[in-house]
Parts: sequence; structure tokens; C-alpha cells
Amino acid sequence: MSFVAEAVQTRRGWGHFPLLRALASNPVTLAALVIVIVFLMMAAFAPWLAPYPPTKIDVLHKLQPPSAEHWFGTDHLGRDLLSRIIHGARTALTIAIGSVAVAGSVGLLLGLIAGYGPRWLDGVLVLVFDSLNSLPMIMFALAIITVLGTGTGTLIFVIAATSFPSYARLIRAQTLALKNSDYILAERLMDAHPLRILLVHLLPNVVGPLIILLSMDIPVVIMVEAGLSFLGLGVRPPTPSWGSILYDGYTSIRSAPFVVIFGGLPLVLATLGFTFLGEGLRDSLDPRLKLRRPA
Amino acid sequence: MKWNTDRRSFLKLAGAFAAAAAVRPGFAWAAVGDTLRIRMEGDLQTLDPAFMIGGTEDVMMRCLYVSLNRLGDLRDGAPWMPWGAKTLEQRDDKSIAFTLIDGLKWSNGLGPVTAGDVKFSYERIADPAVASPWAYQFEQLDHVEVVDQQSGIIHLKSPYAPIYVVSLPYYGGHIISKAGTEKAGGKFTTEPPATCGPYIFSDWQQKQKLTLTPNPDWPGPKPDFQKVEIYIVSDDQAAQLAYEADSFDYTKVAIAAAKDVKANPPADTTVIEAQSTRYQWLTINMLSPRLQDPRVRQAVQYAVDVSQILTGVYNDLTARSTGVVQPGTKYARKSNTIAAPDYEKAMALLSEAGASDLTLTLTVMNDSVRMAVAQIIQASLEQAGIKVEIQPYDEAAYWGLGDKTQGDTYKNLDLVLMDFAGGVDPSENLVWSRPEQIGAYNWSGFDSPEFEEKYQQLVAETDEEKRVALANRMEDLMEESGGFVFICHEPLVVVHRTGMQPLIYPDGHPNPVFFKKSA
Repeated sequence: MSFVAEAVQTRRGWGHFPLLRALASNPVTLAALVIVIVFLMMAAFAPWLAPYPPTKIDVLHKLQPPSAEHWFGTDHLGRDLLSRIIHGARTALTIAIGSVAVAGSVGLLLGLIAGYGPRWLDGVLVLVFDSLNSLPMIMFALAIITVLGTGTGTLIFVIAATSFPSYARLIRAQTLALKNSDYILAERLMDAHPLRILLVHLLPNVVGPLIILLSMDIPVVIMVEAGLSFLGLGVRPPTPSWGSILYDGYTSIRSAPFVVIFGGLPLVLATLGFTFLGEGLRDSLDPRLKLRRPA
Repeated sequence: MKWNTDRRSFLKLAGAFAAAAAVRPGFAWAAVGDTLRIRMEGDLQTLDPAFMIGGTEDVMMRCLYVSLNRLGDLRDGAPWMPWGAKTLEQRDDKSIAFTLIDGLKWSNGLGPVTAGDVKFSYERIADPAVASPWAYQFEQLDHVEVVDQQSGIIHLKSPYAPIYVVSLPYYGGHIISKAGTEKAGGKFTTEPPATCGPYIFSDWQQKQKLTLTPNPDWPGPKPDFQKVEIYIVSDDQAAQLAYEADSFDYTKVAIAAAKDVKANPPADTTVIEAQSTRYQWLTINMLSPRLQDPRVRQAVQYAVDVSQILTGVYNDLTARSTGVVQPGTKYARKSNTIAAPDYEKAMALLSEAGASDLTLTLTVMNDSVRMAVAQIIQASLEQAGIKVEIQPYDEAAYWGLGDKTQGDTYKNLDLVLMDFAGGVDPSENLVWSRPEQIGAYNWSGFDSPEFEEKYQQLVAETDEEKRVALANRMEDLMEESGGFVFICHEPLVVVHRTGMQPLIYPDGHPNPVFFKKSA
């Protein structure tokens, strides 16, 4: 089959998925998409992909360099590093997607209410958003973790609590811009229920920028989780997490640098993957950018 | 005079300087010059002996104050010898006479150091109104009698044999100026009203460096080093790198790096490996609703494989401890009652107690060493069917958990990984398991009247054999209660330049005053 024929077939094959076609047209975004899919697969199928149980301790074989038995070597307690990295993907993505989903949902709901509701309610909600936004995330996280203890649930709560105000602010601004549009006014004149206006007319029009923002924030959350785990305040041991792998590896960085190298690699790749994919989504979904783009 | 120079002559001059520097190591890369550069972990917080907090204060105070006696190096068994006192004599079971060395003088023109200052210092620490955390060191102090300007008698309420190694040479034993402290309103922090030790506090770059220079009025033997610089580096790894880059001459090394440092020590370096007095154990809290049945506690004791911890975390640099008492001393117990794991027995005990589906929380401070120990304990207990959830806390939150003044959390803790810096006398390590320490430092809830009785006998007893028997029995009681799994006394690994001989106290901290230049 010729190259042209292949390309035509590809285009036909993706014809029903214009977004995917748009993403695939940029090689950087395509690479990012592949990386993200790989990490999602790792997270979903970790128990089947990992060669060893990630928490199995074998102190007699600790800090073993990469070998045929342990491709990435072993950590300071003799656990298989590759298995911990694969399971770490599940931890990182559960927390990242979980907290972003919770924060996005809360931000969407409150943003719509603030933007479409009465002015007094808008004022109160904006005050709440700004108050929460003024809290430095790491300091807030440290305080909450000290009170509640560490754990996946605590991390999702902390990250969601500190990030939803920026989503709510975005949705509020979008809603304010749209609520006096002709089609919304027409709906109002026809006595449409406010819930219908919010869900049927406003929600589909404001959610696009939110999806872009959420996808761009996933790598940030991955880094926050890794950072807190590096400080010993992330998920509870022995749950594998990329940050705790780095933390554990740091203590033996001179004698076994491969732990930090292999532990840091997925963090770098996941961050790059989600960032470039987010940018690709922004380029594809934001009509204003499309208009500005040269022909 | 007219000064002319050109590029060529400048380069010649610079070259000459460089060559001179290179051929005279003492000038450019002084391994051991007149300045001793040691590394400590935390910054200075106070110089009031009554409220000493960390290692840096400990080291600073040994340079700035005097105590009646001092300890030798921990590798020599830390024998005590007179220091600020020229004589220190036990008159009878309850009185000790002392005479200060001649010429001791306070800074800031506060006159000579007197027996009145000794009286003030000791009675202040012991005073409950001052609420010093080190009051226990002078718990048995009745009063200090001032005989004359330089002499006095320490009177005890009851015989207290460990006073020479527990009280006098440590924090509480540092003598402070009565006049100066009263002038400062009774307390001070980092600016002592007066000092009298071999060095004076010259400079402090916060969180970076503390500098000590010789006290011109010091009447005792001059220290070998003219200047002491204490560098603050909290992280052991960073400190090791800095040591290798010749930023200082003495530092503790991370346990994880000890094996490599021993195998390949940095250039011009001597490695010291010793057993520190920091002892680690697993607390099994008998106040917890889940651990009130002694069979359940004993099951936990049978299910912990300490040998895995020693290999996995401590690289077999230390042996298992048989109690809290310092190994290598005559007071150490011969062996643990439960010396090896027995998972079947643990499961049988749990089944007998009707607790086969047991889940416990293991509370731990969140640093790499302790977390690694906790994970091995978790894996070990799992083999006996005990599920363990590790709950890490940062240092500040951790210490509040067992404090009864902060709520009832201390009654609900299950397992806690703990470690304390101890001393060479058994009483100093056993004191924390007394019934009165429940809700303070006795997190096992170990409430034994026999233990308390034996403790009182131990501190009053002077016969060595009887003291050994008492200390051994007390540790038997601890283990029999099911409240403790003794792990180890942590190894201490230190690197220093070969051109010096350090002196390390049993608490693992150096005493710069007695660092010697090698001949």
C-alpha cells in the first residue's frame, strides 16, 4: 500500500473522531497521547503487568542494580522497582484524576451558580473562592495532613479543596459572558426553567475551557502528589508512589542512583505527556486559537 | 611610592601565589588548621541549659559553659572525670562535695564563677516552677550548700548513684550565672547573660553557621583548636557531599550510606563506627482497646522479625538490643525472652484470644529510616495474619500523640515505633517506662508497681552487682508485659579528617573542646 493510500485510509478511519484526527496531526501531541495512553494502561492493568508484587520485601536483595530478574533493579527494601513504578502509575493517576474530577465538578457547579444566580450569592461565592485561592496549596496540605493523617483520600480532598476555586472562577466568568446572550434571553422569555437553561444551554458552552484547564492541571497534581510523598506526607506506605520511590531512592542516591533515575523517569514522562496533550486539546478545542492560526 | 603593574607582571604574581598555595596545603586546603569545622543538624534555639532542645545546643553549651565533671569518649565507655571542679568527692550516700577550679570568670564583667552559681543552676533546673524538661536529672536534689566562694556540697533527698553520669555532665549540669540570669529576668534564649567556658560565642549566621572563638579568661587547659565553626546542614546526604567538598571536618553519616563510606572512605578521612545510645523499640500500647488482652500483645511480640530490620535498614551494623539499657555495659540483659519470630505461635495466641482478624495502626515519624523499619514490621506482622496500617506523622505532630495534656489519643494508639537518645547509666533509659510517665513518654501504658519499686532501688543502690540485677529484672518486666519489642541501639557512623581525634559523647554529639590534633 502506498503512503498516500495509507494516509487516506487513516483519515477515513478517524473521520468519525475529528478531535483525535486533530490531535494526531501534531506529532508532539500524538507522542503525548501515546505516553498518556501507556500510563493509563499501566494504571488500569498494573496487577497483570507488574512482574512482582509491589510490596514484597526482600532485604537480602536490596538495592540490586538492573538485571534480567529485576529490569529496573530493587529498592532499599529489596522490592522490585519496575513493579512499584507500574503500580505507582495507578496511585498517581487515581489521585490526579480523582482530585481533578472532584475539583472540576465542584468548580463547575459552583461557577454556574455564581454566574447565573442572584448577585448576593455571586458575591458570597466569589469571596469563598478568593479566600480558598489565597491559601498556599502545600502549606494547606501540610496542615490538613497533620490533622487527618496521610492517605489517598486526604490527598484527593486537599488537592480538590485548593484547586476548585480557580475552576469555579473560570466557569463563573464564562457563564456571566453567556447569560445575556440572545438564545438565553429567548429561553427566559419562553419561561424555561433555570435548571434547563443551566444544564442544556450554559453547561455545554462553558465546559470546553474547563476540560482544557483540567487536562493541563493533571501533571501539576501528579507533581504535587509526588512532592508530598517525597516529604513523607503522601500516600501511606507501603503503597507505591513515584514520589515515595524518589524519597526512598534519595537516601541511597550515591550507591544506587538507578532508583532515583528510574523513579524520576515516569514522573518526567507523565508530566510531559499530560502537559503536551493538554496543549494539544487547547489548540484543538479553543475556537479562538483556531481563528488566530495561520492558514 | 609609585605602583606600576601590567598584564604580564600581574599574571606572574598570580602564578606565584597559586604555586605557593598549592605547595603549602595548610594555606589553601587546610585539612586540620586552627579552625575546627563540624556539622550539626539543626539551628540554635536556646542556650539556657534548663530548656536545651537539640544537638547543636548540646555542643554549644559544652563550649560556652562548664560543668563540674565531664564524660570521656563513648568508644571508651564514657568514663567521667572532674572538669569545672578540681575536686568532686562523695561524702556519703546523700552528699557530694565540690571545689571549683581557680580563676573561672564570667563574661560581661559578672565576676568569678562561684559555688552560689552552682547552687542557683541546679536548684533552678529542679524547681517545678521552672518546668524544665530536664528536671528529672535533679529529681533527687535536696539543695546545694555553699561552703565558700569556690566550694559547696550537693545534698540529695535520697541516694542517687547515676548523678555523675546522668545529671552533672549533661545539660542540667551546666553552670550559669546567678547574677546574669536574674538580671535577664530569670530566663534567656540565645543570648546568655554570661558565659565562662573555653570558648565565646562570636558569630551566628542563622541556619548556616555558628562561630566560637577562644575565651581569653578561660583558666583551664586550652583547647587544641583556636576557632570552632558549626555548620548547620539538616540532611545527612547533603552533609556528606559537603564534607567531601571540604566544607567541614567532621560529620555524622546517614546509615544508608555507612556501608559505602566504610568501603570507600573519602580522601584524608577516618571513619568512626560506634553503637550510639539512641535506642529503638516497638511500643505496644496496652491502653488500646485492641491490645488489652496480653495474648494479643504477646502475639505481636512473636510476629516481629527484628533480624530483617537489622539487615534491611541498619546493614547489620548493629546487633539486636536486649532492652533499653546500653549494650556493652554490664547492665545489659543477656538476651530477650522472645528472641526470634514464631508466626505459628503468634497465630495460635491470636486465635486463643479471639482476635484472628486483627488490624492495628503503626504510628511512626515520617523519615526514611523509621519508615523503612515500619514497613518491615508491617510485612513481618502480616505473616502472622495481623494487618497493619502505617500512619506517618511529622515530628511536631508525632510527639503530641502520646501527650495526655493534648487529649485521649494516647489511649488509642496501637503500635508506635519509638526511639530515644539514652545514656550510659541504666536508670537514664529505664526512667521513661515508670508509671508516672504514662501520658508523657511511657506510650506502652506500662503500669508496673514492681518496676517503680525497682527503679527507686536502682537509683539509690551503689553496689554494682545489685544494680545489674535490678536493671535486668526491670527489662524482664517490660518484655513480660507485652508492651515492648526491643529492636536496637542505632549505629553511629561519623567521618572526620585524619589529622584530628574527636571526642564523642554517649548521646552521639561531639565535644569540640576535647578534639585533639593528631601528633
